[in-house]
Amino acid sequence: METFAGFDRPSGPAGVRNYVAVIPVSVAASAVADAIADRAGEQVHSTPHQMGTDPPEQAREQIERTLSGIGTNPNVGAAVVVELGTESTDADAVADAIADAERDVEVLRIRDRGGTSAAVEAGVEAADRLWADIAGLERTEQDASQLIFGVECGGSDATSGIASNPAVGRACDRLVEDGGTASFSETPEFIGAEHILADRCESESLRERLLERVDFRESAAQLMGVDLRGAQPSPGNQEGGLTTIEEKSLGAIVKGGTTAVRGLVDYAESLPVGGGLVLMDTPGYDIESVVGKVAGGAQIVAFTTGRGSTTGNPIAPVIKVTGNPKTAERLASNMDIDVSTILEGESIESAGDRVYDLLLEVASGERTAAELRRLEEFAINELQPNELAQLRENA
Amino acid sequence: MKGEVLGGVGLQMSRDDNVVTAIDDVEAGAVIPYDSGEVGVEEAVPFGHKIALVELAPGDEVHKYGEVIGRATERIEPGQWVHTHNCRSTRGRGDITDGKEEVA
Amino acid sequence: MAPVSDQRPVDPTALTFEGYRRGDGSLGVRNNVLVMPSVICSHIVADRIADATDRAVSVPHDHGCAQIGADHEQTERTMVNLSQNPNIAGTTVVGLGCEHLQSDDLAAAIAERDRPVRETAIQAAGGSDACIEEGTEATRELARTAESSARTEATLSDLTVGVVSSDVEASTREVADPLVGEVVASLLEAGGRVVVAGTERLAAHVDTVAERAANDAAAESLRAVAERSASQPGNVRNIVHRSGEHSLESLTGAWGGAPVEDVLEYGEQATADGGLSLVDAPSRFEEATTALAAAGASIVVHVTADGIPTGHPVVPVLKVTGDEATATALATDMDVDARTADADEVLRQLAAVAGGERTATERHGLTKFAISRIGPSL
Repeated sequence: METFAGFDRPSGPAGVRNYVAVIPVSVAASAVADAIADRAGEQVHSTPHQMGTDPPEQAREQIERTLSGIGTNPNVGAAVVVELGTESTDADAVADAIADAERDVEVLRIRDRGGTSAAVEAGVEAADRLWADIAGLERTEQDASQLIFGVECGGSDATSGIASNPAVGRACDRLVEDGGTASFSETPEFIGAEHILADRCESESLRERLLERVDFRESAAQLMGVDLRGAQPSPGNQEGGLTTIEEKSLGAIVKGGTTAVRGLVDYAESLPVGGGLVLMDTPGYDIESVVGKVAGGAQIVAFTTGRGSTTGNPIAPVIKVTGNPKTAERLASNMDIDVSTILEGESIESAGDRVYDLLLEVASGERTAAELRRLEEFAINELQPNELAQLRENA
Repeated sequence: MKGEVLGGVGLQMSRDDNVVTAIDDVEAGAVIPYDSGEVGVEEAVPFGHKIALVELAPGDEVHKYGEVIGRATERIEPGQWVHTHNCRSTRGRGDITDGKEEVA
Repeated sequence: MAPVSDQRPVDPTALTFEGYRRGDGSLGVRNNVLVMPSVICSHIVADRIADATDRAVSVPHDHGCAQIGADHEQTERTMVNLSQNPNIAGTTVVGLGCEHLQSDDLAAAIAERDRPVRETAIQAAGGSDACIEEGTEATRELARTAESSARTEATLSDLTVGVVSSDVEASTREVADPLVGEVVASLLEAGGRVVVAGTERLAAHVDTVAERAANDAAAESLRAVAERSASQPGNVRNIVHRSGEHSLESLTGAWGGAPVEDVLEYGEQATADGGLSLVDAPSRFEEATTALAAAGASIVVHVTADGIPTGHPVVPVLKVTGDEATATALATDMDVDARTADADEVLRQLAAVAGGERTATERHGLTKFAISRIGPSL
């Protein structure tokens, strides 16, 4: 059985990082949250976003679910929830969810603090105080079965389906074999490959639900009255040799490995611990999709990229895996592991085992390229008006 | 890696595929051994892009990974570059009102 | 807070300040270089470039990829026109490389317009570190050029002023909007141009909204915008619903009673010489202000009952509240207490800000930028 050195939490699986999260509930509090994290210690990370102060109900539920998920991610030891004080998004509900996970949490209301500058001061004090309480926590040996491994692909090209995705897929298979959870998402990138995933679903109801979700995402193109090709595959994907969404999808789904699909959860919904391969229904838009899985509990993310995406996440370390030899060389400082060796004859098993080893090392504290550069992109998927209308019609 | 590299030029992911993926930048004139004959590459094809192994008529399915990745939109000769100029997705076509019917 | 009035009525053309005249004739009140990510994936790199350069501002956003059709076009249109805001002396576009909205295409579209543009992309530069270096160098060069931008004496009537009320609370409709409306009327009378945002408040007034139009084309556009607002269940639902509880007059108090000359798409640049234009943007502060800045506003007046305390990177924002609790709780974040200020004071404040005086949000320095979406992420 594989192990890693992680942080015990009072409830739930171990963390691979030990952060104080500063979580704004709306766009109106977001800049304050950023300012707090900038001025507080290095272990204080903010999750800025652009969600409105008064979103429609279904959108609000998704925002609250995401923020609660972020605050209860195993990498978060304590949290400050920041609100202006007039939002319909419920800061207390988010804070309650975090407290229920037995983490210390404080709510900072800008209006109660006498304004922006005073709120930043108070927030920095709160964050530093919360950090002092968890700073002494030491890493201890943890079973790999506690890991929830989020898998993403972005800036894909032809090498993604040939090298990086199969290698990460192998790492997923290893983790599932060791009792952990692997999750991939990006539902639009199931289009054209959904029959393969459907055949791997553990039950008929799961299979039906998966196909429904793919249909719904595909209908976004109908919703806008245009060809999906405008965005999928993207210009970079096309330049990299990917002609159609089907081709992209067939290469993309390989990153989840070969085990049975055991579940499908909503955007930012909790992923099970020890759950095997579980899908999440998210857009293909990388940052929103990574955030969904981190909110679902993923402590660590592998992100395969052919063209070379450099993005990270404020809460979970993101391991950059490339199968493109030119990207491995040109963007070496932003990549964590080069599996373009597969094109020269290294077996997928061997490259995948290297990814799995790196996964455990990063889980134990080794910092990724994005972490070293503090590249911590964060965005929540916002349900758009026409999407909400469509959801209502389908309900 | 999955599949078989034909003549050191193109990767055939599955035995039934009618295209291969260039594993390096390929010059016109390169030769791909295929089906007990050979296919001459007609034009320069960049790394990662696809080359037709057989003749494809408009509407014919293009196969990679042993699956359908789209249809030819024009006649494609063996050895020609296969990409967005001559191959198109059948999915996510919100620009076609009966788009769903086109998906086989 | 507003200075004490000296009781004399103010003529906006008598309030002068030193502004920046751009090549297209527009007048800026700030002289900044814009660092514009073409996609979310390069926004932190854009932030770092702006942080490393004096007089550079960045506009981090969530978009630029996985958008289709009109949604994608709206993002692109907004970014191009934002680069032409009168406060902007030049633009550095920062891309990743594989995104839908390609940074070199965006830079090429900007290059066709008035001011200098530079471009860098992470994948082409060889990584984020190299891109920050390359982008910082380009941005510093643009900033040096900006330093020589000519200052000219101008009056408030030379400006395009943006206005957004981000809610329909009683304090906004009854106290703050009427005050801002007086200011708007005065600016328009003096020959100035005003752009207003917040179209969802028209939802319940489809039948009467055309009465506010200055011409037939505007009447048709107003009706169309009102109808679309009425049919949408989106993030604007609250104001959409509440629009039925109030008269059109009460909801548009900040428009100064003036007829609407034209209706601009979100992200579109205003072209009228003067008068009132409505921008088809929601009332949300960040999204509205981005649209107003893209339309050409060099200053934005923001009416807020809850005291949304953030500024905007491209334009100075004058925060106006009519709410007693907000005026007290967020005194240092608000510029105008509408309960006590009069229109003349606000005009003088606008002139002072136009001349370089910092607003409350410029003092604390926290800004937020966003672009409206009209389609789902793919």
